[in-house]
Amino acid sequence: MVVEALVDQLLNGLTIGVVYVLLAAGLSIVFGVMDVINFAHGELYALGAYFAFSVTTAAGDPNAFWVALLLAPAAVAVVGVGVERLTIRPLYGRNPLYHILLTFGLVLILKDVVEFVWGPGNKSYPVTPGVLQGQVAVAGFDFPRYSLFVIAVGSLMAAGTWYALNDTRVGLVVRAGAQDREMVRHLGIEVDRYYTLVFAFGAALAGLAGVVLAGRNGLEVAMGDSVIIPAFVIVVLGGLGSFRGAVVGGLVVGVVQTLTRSGVVAEVFAPVPVVGELAALLPALEGLVVFGLMIAVLLFRPRGLFGNPEWQSSEGEGDLLVGGGGALGSVWRRRLALGAVALLIVAPFGVGLAYDGFVVYSLLVSILVWALFAVSLDLVMGYAGLVSLGHVLFYGVGAYGTVLAADGRVTDLVAAVPAVGSPLAAGLGALGYADSLPLALLTGVAAAAAVAWVVGYLSIRVAGVYFAMITLGFAELFRQVVVKLPASWAGSTDGLYGAELSYSVAGVSLGEVGDVVLVEGVAAGPVVLAREVRLLYFVVLAGVLGGYLLARRVIEAPFGGVLTAIRESEARAQFLGYNVVAHKRRVFVLSGALAALAGGLQAVTGLVVGVGPSLLHWINSGEVIVMAVLGGMGTLYGPILGAAVFRGGQELLSTYTGQWRALLGLVFVLFVVFLPRGIVSLPGELQRRLRERGGDPPTGAPAETPAEPKLEGDD
Amino acid sequence: MSADDASGTGAGTDRESDAVLATEALTKRFGELTAVDGVDLRVERGEFRSVIGPNGAGKTTLFDLITGAQRPTSGSVRFDGEDVTALAPHERVRRGLGRSFQITTVFSGLTVRENVRLAAQSVHDASISRVDRFLRPKGSFEAIAADTTATLKRVELADRTEERAGALAYGDRRRLEIGLVLATDPAVVLLDEPTAGMSAEETAATMQLIDEVLADRTLVLIEHDVDLVLEVSDRITVLDRGRVLTTGSPEAVADDGDVQRAYLGGDRG
Repeated sequence: MVVEALVDQLLNGLTIGVVYVLLAAGLSIVFGVMDVINFAHGELYALGAYFAFSVTTAAGDPNAFWVALLLAPAAVAVVGVGVERLTIRPLYGRNPLYHILLTFGLVLILKDVVEFVWGPGNKSYPVTPGVLQGQVAVAGFDFPRYSLFVIAVGSLMAAGTWYALNDTRVGLVVRAGAQDREMVRHLGIEVDRYYTLVFAFGAALAGLAGVVLAGRNGLEVAMGDSVIIPAFVIVVLGGLGSFRGAVVGGLVVGVVQTLTRSGVVAEVFAPVPVVGELAALLPALEGLVVFGLMIAVLLFRPRGLFGNPEWQSSEGEGDLLVGGGGALGSVWRRRLALGAVALLIVAPFGVGLAYDGFVVYSLLVSILVWALFAVSLDLVMGYAGLVSLGHVLFYGVGAYGTVLAADGRVTDLVAAVPAVGSPLAAGLGALGYADSLPLALLTGVAAAAAVAWVVGYLSIRVAGVYFAMITLGFAELFRQVVVKLPASWAGSTDGLYGAELSYSVAGVSLGEVGDVVLVEGVAAGPVVLAREVRLLYFVVLAGVLGGYLLARRVIEAPFGGVLTAIRESEARAQFLGYNVVAHKRRVFVLSGALAALAGGLQAVTGLVVGVGPSLLHWINSGEVIVMAVLGGMGTLYGPILGAAVFRGGQELLSTYTGQWRALLGLVFVLFVVFLPRGIVSLPGELQRRLRERGGDPPTGAPAETPAEPKLEGDD
Repeated sequence: MSADDASGTGAGTDRESDAVLATEALTKRFGELTAVDGVDLRVERGEFRSVIGPNGAGKTTLFDLITGAQRPTSGSVRFDGEDVTALAPHERVRRGLGRSFQITTVFSGLTVRENVRLAAQSVHDASISRVDRFLRPKGSFEAIAADTTATLKRVELADRTEERAGALAYGDRRRLEIGLVLATDPAVVLLDEPTAGMSAEETAATMQLIDEVLADRTLVLIEHDVDLVLEVSDRITVLDRGRVLTTGSPEAVADDGDVQRAYLGGDRG
């Protein structure tokens, strides 16, 4: 029985593995040739499946599946051509990190488009050809025919790709381009011409993967999400840009993932002492092992297991473009800011008069929290040039730290420490630790700062795209830990809800969070002046403003000056005598702490105090990047604007359509392509355009030249 | 200037003579290729030394080894009597080993003043308290501001302080870069082909600027063009295929048969 189960699971693993190979091969070739990390690769995979669904449904004939097998990948390739021509092409020559930002915007768009066209809910092909149904007996084992079919198709495509890369002229150029693009250019070959072809081919492979796997696992809108992270892991393990790495990595991850998940390994080893017990832990550790491996490879062998040893990523081809004010002088900017703060302060007094509580206590609070999160990201992205794709890690640690402290679990943990534990716990008790909002928030912030120090210490030595991937790895690792650990640790998939917190320190309390109402209702005769002004709102406002002012203060201090210098030219800053790595690490810790404050505030401002693992989803890391870039990074106030526009836009659009993300994604993509310096650069950009129309000859590339660059602090 | 007027201050720790910068058997291999091969370089305090050699002689690699941009395979670098071989580039700069870049590198998005201020801040960095470093406005440090203003005057950019560095004309950018080096107050300045890609006119202006502004420093100039360095150097070291071919006065080097062969008759160049 065990042997049969093992063979079964091995076949399952190979089936998934082959699909991973198709996905990772496309991802890897595209990266190798174009330096583009395509976040939307998973969505192309989903598109392939949905196209095939349409074909098979419309035809109603089982054999339509064969048609879909050809048509759907071709259609995805066409989509790929459009994507490359319209959005990716304008960004060549800019910092490769812009492609990550761009393709993240495409994820938002494509996902919603799929949902809009095909509707939510799970689906499956109506019929598949009879020859693919049922089992076939080989050597005494029954194998599902469909799995064998998937493996056959995948192997055939992989072999074909291998042949195309190794034995055709196009393949030669593609491989040479991946090795050394400049050299190929010097040979007089226009590598760029091959980009569209390569991207379309990668898209077709992803589409094909979608078509075949959907015949086995069915379709759902989020199917792209579920494969993109494993695909990244595979590409990183195998070596960015390496086809062989994608093949080996895909098969290994597919098999290992399936075997550990299924528990069959545990069954096999159960009779063996010690080993059996370790094997029993495997299903819980699967995610940890995979992401741990990914992080280790990035740290110690960034080129991956099969990557080109002379790998040269063309980092620094272009700069990250920071926002610039321009049209408004610093005096006016300051006046506007003070005006905005004044409005925020009086906002709760209008509840029940001009708008209901939702606007202030839900929407405004959410905007404020995300604004602080975006400001924290801006510190590392806009000033130190580090694109963190896993910033949700610190946001999450802040939220979880806060809730765990409120839950009393931190106290329990401290009490469990031998010798010093009990008196320490008693001391915490005397401070009223488990009830105190400030102390709970502080716990989250301190924990995140510590985590940021460790993550920064490990990852800041790797640059650019690799840094982005490694932070993504750490964030996913943390999510896996939270979900896979027993619920008594951090609530697992259910999350932690219902802890109680007060505005208190050491027994002095103003009352419980959520309950304290500053003004119950003020009336002057028949005129109601205000209804229910809650203290919590002002706590959030103070926390966010305080965080922003601290960030700004730091940026305008000598430390911040050096950060700006590092952003401008790392080599120059180093040869002025500055320790670039140390500066990046320090700002990473500060950024982690501020993100944690945002996370903590998020956790205490819900209907009940609490947090769940959905807060840790990578899409949150992506959205905060969208906000920062949308507003204008490297300005600190731009990301606040971005958060307001994004959250406000979401609120506004979601009353009309469920596909608000697609619209915001589209806006974001347009910004990345046409106005990468963000909303804050809009006035200056307009002025410049008007001036040009007035007869001045245009100077330089339009989008690249700042109208009036931001020089110093913004006041 | 000449090697004779080197003063004896501070370098007494070096055993043999008053070398402010010295390399011992410095070697760098890339696989089979030995780019720098057992180079012993001794630069006296106050000297203007040029290191020349044909393309591929290992000049840039030597430069990188001295500044710390690359680590040597073997051998050592001594600066001011201290072994700095294991130090990171920024630590060498802090000890007084400044450098310019072959391609002018300034902070082009920042103002001229902020560029120089950043360089001046580096000199005072150790004396800034931790709280001040993170929270005090960067413009409020008087010593830094004074140094900044002095340097701006020295490189004749005092009237353009609020302009964006990227918007400066090429010559002014070059000036600014020299200013950045000067503001870090280096004892030794390493210049990596400062006139690469310049017209004859620009080259003359740049060499004059270096002579004016950096005359009181020890200079090590890495250069491809022999004629350029003959006039300004105190001594010249000639590299060929990673090795020191000869070191001597400009006259001696100009007359050296080996040097002429390396440049003219060799199988490389």
